[in-house]
Amino acid sequence: MEAKSNKLQAKDLINVGIFTAIYFVLFFAGMMLGYIPIFIPLLGLVCPILCGIPFMLYLTKVKKFGMVSLTGIVLGLLNLIMGSGVLVFIAGVIFGVLSDLVLRAGKYQSWKCTFIGNGIFSLWIMGYVSRMFLTRDVFFSSLVSSYGREYVDTLMSYTPGWMFPVLFMLTFIGGILGALLGKAVLKKHFEKAGIA
Amino acid sequence: MIELRNINFRYVKGTEVGGLMDIDLTIPDGQVILLCGQSGCGKTTLTRLVNGLIPHYYEGELRGEVLVDGKNIRELPLYETAKYVGSVFQNPRTQFFTVDSTSELAFGCENQGLPEEEIIERVKATTRQFGMGNLMGKNIFSLSGGEKQKIACASVSVSDPSIIVMDEPSSNLDVSATKDLRRMLRIWKQQGKTVIIAEHRLYYLKELIDRVVYLKDGKIEKDYPAIEALQLSAAQQAEMGLRPFELNMFPVTARPAAGSGFIECENFHFAYPKQKDALTIDRLSLPQTGIIAVIGHNGAGKSTLARCLCGLEKHCKGIVKVDGKPYNRKQRLSLCYMVMQDVNHQLFTESTEEELLISMEQPAPDKAAAVLERLDLLPFRERHPMALSGGQKQRVAIAAALVSGRKILVFDEPTSGLDLQHMKEVADELAAIQEMGKTSLVITHDYELIVSCCTHVLHLEQGTVQEQYALDTEGLGRLKDFFIESR
Amino acid sequence: MDAAPVELKFENKAVIPTDPRTKLFLTVTVSTIMITGGTGGFMNLIRPCLMACPIAFLLLSRRWTAAARFAVTYAVLFVLELTVLPLLTGIWNFILGAAVGIYTHMLPGFIMGYYLVSTTTVSEFVAAMERMHVPQKIVIPVSVVFRFFPTVKEEYAAIRDAMKMRGITTFRSPMKMLEYRVVPLMVSVAKIGEELSAAALTRGLGAPGKRTNICNIGFGPLDIFFFLMAIPCWYGFFI
Repeated sequence: MEAKSNKLQAKDLINVGIFTAIYFVLFFAGMMLGYIPIFIPLLGLVCPILCGIPFMLYLTKVKKFGMVSLTGIVLGLLNLIMGSGVLVFIAGVIFGVLSDLVLRAGKYQSWKCTFIGNGIFSLWIMGYVSRMFLTRDVFFSSLVSSYGREYVDTLMSYTPGWMFPVLFMLTFIGGILGALLGKAVLKKHFEKAGIA
Repeated sequence: MIELRNINFRYVKGTEVGGLMDIDLTIPDGQVILLCGQSGCGKTTLTRLVNGLIPHYYEGELRGEVLVDGKNIRELPLYETAKYVGSVFQNPRTQFFTVDSTSELAFGCENQGLPEEEIIERVKATTRQFGMGNLMGKNIFSLSGGEKQKIACASVSVSDPSIIVMDEPSSNLDVSATKDLRRMLRIWKQQGKTVIIAEHRLYYLKELIDRVVYLKDGKIEKDYPAIEALQLSAAQQAEMGLRPFELNMFPVTARPAAGSGFIECENFHFAYPKQKDALTIDRLSLPQTGIIAVIGHNGAGKSTLARCLCGLEKHCKGIVKVDGKPYNRKQRLSLCYMVMQDVNHQLFTESTEEELLISMEQPAPDKAAAVLERLDLLPFRERHPMALSGGQKQRVAIAAALVSGRKILVFDEPTSGLDLQHMKEVADELAAIQEMGKTSLVITHDYELIVSCCTHVLHLEQGTVQEQYALDTEGLGRLKDFFIESR
Repeated sequence: MDAAPVELKFENKAVIPTDPRTKLFLTVTVSTIMITGGTGGFMNLIRPCLMACPIAFLLLSRRWTAAARFAVTYAVLFVLELTVLPLLTGIWNFILGAAVGIYTHMLPGFIMGYYLVSTTTVSEFVAAMERMHVPQKIVIPVSVVFRFFPTVKEEYAAIRDAMKMRGITTFRSPMKMLEYRVVPLMVSVAKIGEELSAAALTRGLGAPGKRTNICNIGFGPLDIFFFLMAIPCWYGFFI
């Protein structure tokens, strides 16, 4: 590039769109596992591992602050449209920006920051489950009439209050693992294919 | 006026060929200029210099200056250049941004912020001019390649730039779509636009071009007025690695006749949801060990036949008999094999050799090595398939089919966007496959490929067999009727 | 405006022309309330209405098969809930209850989302976002996302075909299965993306001035009607 400006240009914005689309598709594929209810708490682990592949490829194109933040925002918006609630959107914005800050600290170069960045970015998924913990009583009582007592009891027993931080950790670890997988695929395939 | 002054360019990524050396070129207003030369000669690079993608999108080392109407492209941001230069690219599938055709035509003007009323007037005028009212208000994903390319040209026209740059615009087009493209070019020429076309297929351009620039290894080797270039003999053109300006002049290679056996196809019927029948063939005999060119206009059912034959369409109940043995749909998945147009879709592993081994029921490295040897791939056995060149990738896909013992190979447009040299390589591969006793079906719009290697022609129209003939002297005449006289 | 003698034809997707903003709002309404809203009392009235709403939309836009498919799904779920669920206990009650519960909650939002996406063109989305003063930095990525969903679908279908022909379908480790699917998909989507960016840039995307848009969107009486309808739903949601 001739003009090395730090402002986001159309090229960057298109890249945000492309990779957000792939990320969302893979995330959704992972979500399908969530229809088997016992896996819901595991989503935090599985989805970031899947999404690590597009995300690491994406990061090879990210050189400026704002792209990852935008990815978080757009993901949040898509989920909002899909009806996952406002919390997911808020989580998308927060963790998108946080991840972007971490990546910038590594000048979008350092592997260490990249791993942590993906870990933090993945935490947006916590927007899905935070209702379960933040407004616990309301949430579970609202579920009883439509999901049945058995389901709610099981879900509650799977998700005691201390699970919340555990899920955070799990998702973060999922993000790190995803980044490792993504890096492996990057080295094994994408760099040789000339797209990284 | 476009001036390129003492241009030297090299892409940053060392793998990419197509750099330029010492280019000096002045293109006066209203000239239609053809850039030709073998793949990697730098003609695409030259178009990118004019529309500003170099240096603003593709990274590289650039020295020299590009001036468009006196303005330095290097200092002009892309959205400014967009007002003067419109671009049409090779792949119709990747150059539309919106999803519906009407918005697509307006897209460029909308970006410039022209008033709505004016844009609407311009869109209407262009639609009339190009006679494409039937394409308005459609989902572009549902259109054919030719129709997509028409939309791409029309959307450039709506923005009304004085310069139009085209990078191999006919690569993915069939005979009639190429004809449409020529009509649009003629309109632009009449409007006095400067048109720069980088192209491999030359026959459709001969009445339109004013000037021909021949590039070789990044340098301008020849710069002819069109009249002179058109007088080059067939031999001279072949030596330069160019496809002919006159299809008729292209030398016909006689192929040994196929064996006497036949592959019988029965009951090939298929319809896409909510559409009329795409394919209605009750009975079809294909000469075994032949190289059969499958031709026909867009929507004739060529790809549908290929998909049904390969067992990819569940609702097609057709049966194929080879040597008297019937194969149903599921069995055909391992009898036939399609080499896809975008070969990237069918390469999965991290080395060429492994690509072959996963195709075999009992992995046998010696057998794999033999096939690799045959297709000149042995030196690349350890390489990542995606890191190979386009032609090599295609050969890897073919090799995978051969080691798994397929009897019928289907090629979907194997030569779209290839120059003469690479087209000939494909023809040689097809001949080699024939020698191994396999049957090939080649869906193609490429006249030069057909006369270089095919033994038979299967002409489909509207889902049925229009005619089927061997490519002897008489057959050649019929083929020319389709490709040449029908223009 | 009425000076134009011939109307410009757009992809005719919606039979009842509602503004994309209305559809967006209704989608968020239906899905948010159905998934995260409470039950009981007033909501017992609102829920069935919200479930019926997307089907009604589909019928009104003459998407008969889609409407029928979703209606049948509803019916099956409902019958299951009434007949089979009470007979089961323990783990089976848990599994079926959860499945039925999740589907009845998610489905209306999904159908609404399907309706929104299938009846709104990308440029209508863009026009709607621009009217809502969403900045370009968000409008461009969102429009690319919508442009890319069909592309991802097309590419994935091609890869699946290729795998079928190669016989690479089963008997492999999950890691390999993931690799064989995702790697070619990413390679082709990344390449398409690169070409698409180049094409869009040569057409002046990202110019700093104000963009115009020829899409005709705007609120009509029908939109106001829907907004009014949504008020009691949100009222029920918040109390």
